[in-house]
Amino acid sequence: MRALRAILRRMWRAERAALLRGVALSAVVLMAGVALLGLSGWFITAAGLAGMLGLGLVFDVFRPSAGVRMLALGRTAARYGERLITHDAVLRVLASLRVALLERLQRLPYGQMLRLRGAQTLNRLTADVDALDGVALRLAMPLAAGAVTLAISGAMLAWLVAPAVALWSVASFTLGAAAALIWAGRRALAPSRRAELAQQAFRMRLIDALRAASDLAVQGRLHMQRMAVLEAEARLHSARDQVNRVERRAGFALSVTVTLAAAGALWLGSGLAQAGQISVAALALGFFATLALGEITGPLRRGMADLGRMMDAARRVERLLAAPDPAPAPAAAVAAPRPDPTAPALAFAGVSLAAPGSSRPVLDALSFDLAAGECVAMTGRSGSGKSLVLALAAGLIAPDAGRVLLAGQPLADWPEADLRARLALLPQRAALMRGTVFEALALARPDLTEAEAMAVLEAVQLTGVVAQNGGLSARLGDGGAGLSGGEARRLTLARAILRRPQVLLLDEPTEGLDRPTAEAVLRGIRHELPAAALLIASHRAVEQEFSDRLLRLDQAAATT
Amino acid sequence: MTETSKGWLAGFYAAARTARLESAGWITAAASLLWLPQAALVAAVIAGLLDPASAQVGPLAGTAGFAALGLVRAGLEVLAARWLMEGAEAALSLARRDLVAAETARAPKDPSRPAAAAVAALASEKLALLGPWLIRLRPAMLRARVVPLAILAAALPLSWVVVLIFVVSGPLIPVFMALVGMAAKEASARQLAEVGTLNTLLLERLQALVDIRLLAASSRVVEGFRAAAEDLRARTMAVLRLAFLSSAVLELFSAIGVAMVAVYVGFHLLGALGWGSWGGLSVGEGIFLILLAPAFFEPLRDMAAAWHDKAAAEAVAEEMAALEAGRGALMLGAGAAVAPLPGAPEIALRGVAVQIAGRWLRLPDLTVAPGEALALTGPSGVGKSTALALIAGLQAPDQGEIRVAGQPLGPDTADAWRARLGWLPQVPHFLAGSLRTTLSAGPVAPAAMAAALRLARADGVVARLPRGLLARLGETGAGVSGGEARRLMLARVALAAPQVVLADEPTADLDEETATEVTEALLALAAGGATLIVATHDARLAARMGRVVALEGAV
Repeated sequence: MRALRAILRRMWRAERAALLRGVALSAVVLMAGVALLGLSGWFITAAGLAGMLGLGLVFDVFRPSAGVRMLALGRTAARYGERLITHDAVLRVLASLRVALLERLQRLPYGQMLRLRGAQTLNRLTADVDALDGVALRLAMPLAAGAVTLAISGAMLAWLVAPAVALWSVASFTLGAAAALIWAGRRALAPSRRAELAQQAFRMRLIDALRAASDLAVQGRLHMQRMAVLEAEARLHSARDQVNRVERRAGFALSVTVTLAAAGALWLGSGLAQAGQISVAALALGFFATLALGEITGPLRRGMADLGRMMDAARRVERLLAAPDPAPAPAAAVAAPRPDPTAPALAFAGVSLAAPGSSRPVLDALSFDLAAGECVAMTGRSGSGKSLVLALAAGLIAPDAGRVLLAGQPLADWPEADLRARLALLPQRAALMRGTVFEALALARPDLTEAEAMAVLEAVQLTGVVAQNGGLSARLGDGGAGLSGGEARRLTLARAILRRPQVLLLDEPTEGLDRPTAEAVLRGIRHELPAAALLIASHRAVEQEFSDRLLRLDQAAATT
Repeated sequence: MTETSKGWLAGFYAAARTARLESAGWITAAASLLWLPQAALVAAVIAGLLDPASAQVGPLAGTAGFAALGLVRAGLEVLAARWLMEGAEAALSLARRDLVAAETARAPKDPSRPAAAAVAALASEKLALLGPWLIRLRPAMLRARVVPLAILAAALPLSWVVVLIFVVSGPLIPVFMALVGMAAKEASARQLAEVGTLNTLLLERLQALVDIRLLAASSRVVEGFRAAAEDLRARTMAVLRLAFLSSAVLELFSAIGVAMVAVYVGFHLLGALGWGSWGGLSVGEGIFLILLAPAFFEPLRDMAAAWHDKAAAEAVAEEMAALEAGRGALMLGAGAAVAPLPGAPEIALRGVAVQIAGRWLRLPDLTVAPGEALALTGPSGVGKSTALALIAGLQAPDQGEIRVAGQPLGPDTADAWRARLGWLPQVPHFLAGSLRTTLSAGPVAPAAMAAALRLARADGVVARLPRGLLARLGETGAGVSGGEARRLMLARVALAAPQVVLADEPTADLDEETATEVTEALLALAAGGATLIVATHDARLAARMGRVVALEGAV
């Protein structure tokens, strides 16, 4: 519940105006409904009485009938506005929550970023954010609008009918509805959580069953996996049935509440009318208005039934959003250290690093220098720590012992912005996003010109491919779809080159390229960045032949 | 809506249909009609108070009757809701189970198989959109046919003008609904797509977090995302404005209908309009009519409100129909654990050919003796992986015969044959759960596990993992390198102690040393007596095998 409140506070801070507009218009619609039914009842009864008494010609028929018409039309208009405004508010809230999440996750430490990249983690996260959309639409806004409507209707009924009728209507309705909704919220909590968990399990097990079908079939496990999928399905089915049952019972209680509140208003009003304390028309007003209060609870039923799912989603999202920020103060506050012109571009001095979570060292007192304009290929069997060296050099992780120096200054002293301006890294699994080729490149340089873009594409041998697909404005699909693996790789390489770094770190840059292309690409990098120091994690001969020297990682004390 | 999706939806309903589901719609109609006596009671109470002399029902009796009918009505509604919801959930469950069974029975290497994530999204989220179609729209359509007619019948003896107002404004509603339906279908489809796009945008940016940081593009990416979200919002709102406008027109008609009835009855009671009824309305009859008016329009409005459920259901039906139409080759057997097939594990291919994506792949006649080490080579796409899948019974040949251990490989023998196989996939997949789960379904003696890991040269990999065998790796092996993932897969093969090992491109994308280690491990399995068949275009690996068969893929 605390996480849900925190999420609500975030929504409120980000989109206060939109939420208030939504609540105001929802309340107007509800009140117009109450007023319309109340006025109609009053009008007919008063008109009937006037007709019976032969006062038809003096009865002011125009103002009430105009009121009925105005309310009927006004309610339609208000309903239209309410739908637009609440949808607008939800879309705004939806966007702001996602922006906040993106902003926060960009400051995660490298290790957590990597862990987040799994498709299932991300699916989970987006499903959670989706679940939270209902917090505003089905909980907060209808609750606020309902409370406003009840308060104002109560005051009007007390004034126009009788305090006793107003008290009965508002109190019985509020108590009944609150009890039903709170009961539903509590009872649905566990099953709606179970439904969500079962749905996630169903999804993950099914994906496993389909993606690893060959492996599982040969191991004789496919049928078991299928049964596990169906087991999760059965849990989902039964949990959904339970959530539905709670929602139904809450609906029954709400329906009974409205009936009893209205019947009570009729009974109380009849007594008052018989005693001559109120007119029969006022009694009709009270009864019909109470009947119309039932509309308040409509959207809340599903909202309460989904409470458990929303609370779990809120807890997970809030845990990410509210985690203490490990990133240091904004880079601008710290002055960049003065580069030492005599020092190597990059130097490792006695760097040791254990594998994450274990004490076994992967790198043991690694020392090497890398001069400007030099190209070094790191070799070593897989698992020997080539990618870790690049991550250390890029300042993504910190060594357990020893120092990494950039232009003679410890890496930790460089503010993030200056560090990224001086050094670029092409990771092993670089990602592209939907958009044009130019946009993909401009991610590296906001002031990119077309001429620069074409030059760097030429360097990575992509000019032909891009021209075939429609030039710089060629569109890439999700995750860069539309390019082959090798082409996507070269586009991300072009992006790294565009940073114009003094130190360029490359993780298997020519993987998947045939030999002539690989050679041309390597020459292209050197042509674009003649003075840069290049460090390549490599297992290909072509990269090693291109390099000035090799750095073998699996030889115990790797030195130059 | 296409014919196939219409057919699918009809089939879905036929499977879902039960007596309860059928009758639930009628119960909701009956509950709606209970409003008629409730309205009559209220009208009688108020009329009685206005003119105590002609009172037919006292306030107490009237109120009690109103409340009692209200309780019955609430009871009927909850009963109908129960039958509808249970019926719908059962139908959805059935559809999900059918989908799971059908998709997991398909040949794993069939290129026409859709992406696993797409099937999972269809099964877990999209199918659920059929629920509201069953629970809300169908009963609302039934009510829209029944309830207005009953109300017309109740109003006719009192006033023909009121009936006329109903008749004129009522049928206009379905006309508008057709328009609303069309606009709403487009709007809901567009809106779904927009929300989907926003999620896709977020997903992509989260996947690229590391890249964004390395390119120092964080603030620009956030601003770009904010702008994209704002743009999406503006476009979605433009569509919704139109869709909501058409449903507002619908509401307007029902509001005008109700207001016209109220004004007519009011004027009539005042004596200003003497015509339109059969000899004058009493106050009670007037109030009764005014109470009927909203109830006349309610089923039509319910139906309009649920109309977009139809669009959503049709969109899902379309996808399901397309999926079912695209189902091709099946796997042999169920993939269950059974007793191994007896006999020496000799493999013989005779005249085997398969059709893949419209192209015929023919395999040479081949006999592999027990214990033999064989390399299948040839250019990409020649059918090396397909040959392995055929031998494992993961797919049936379209022509020819495969005999294993002296018996034809078919649905009855495939599971038993596979109990003797080991399979090294080209792309490793780690199951959700610990590494141990991926390596073995059941408990394994520590000594056997250690031996298998050692044989696959994967003991070091496991030792390096933070939680060892309990570590959770990403689906494709995030957390270990490509070579380490391959060796872990090899350990899984070793653990099963198979008599025949099928390895698909075991050395692809590996550096020389790791490739050598994998090769040695495979040969170690062969040295233990297992038949070894590798599909490869690594000449060095092929050279280590006893025999090389070059596939030519001739048509």
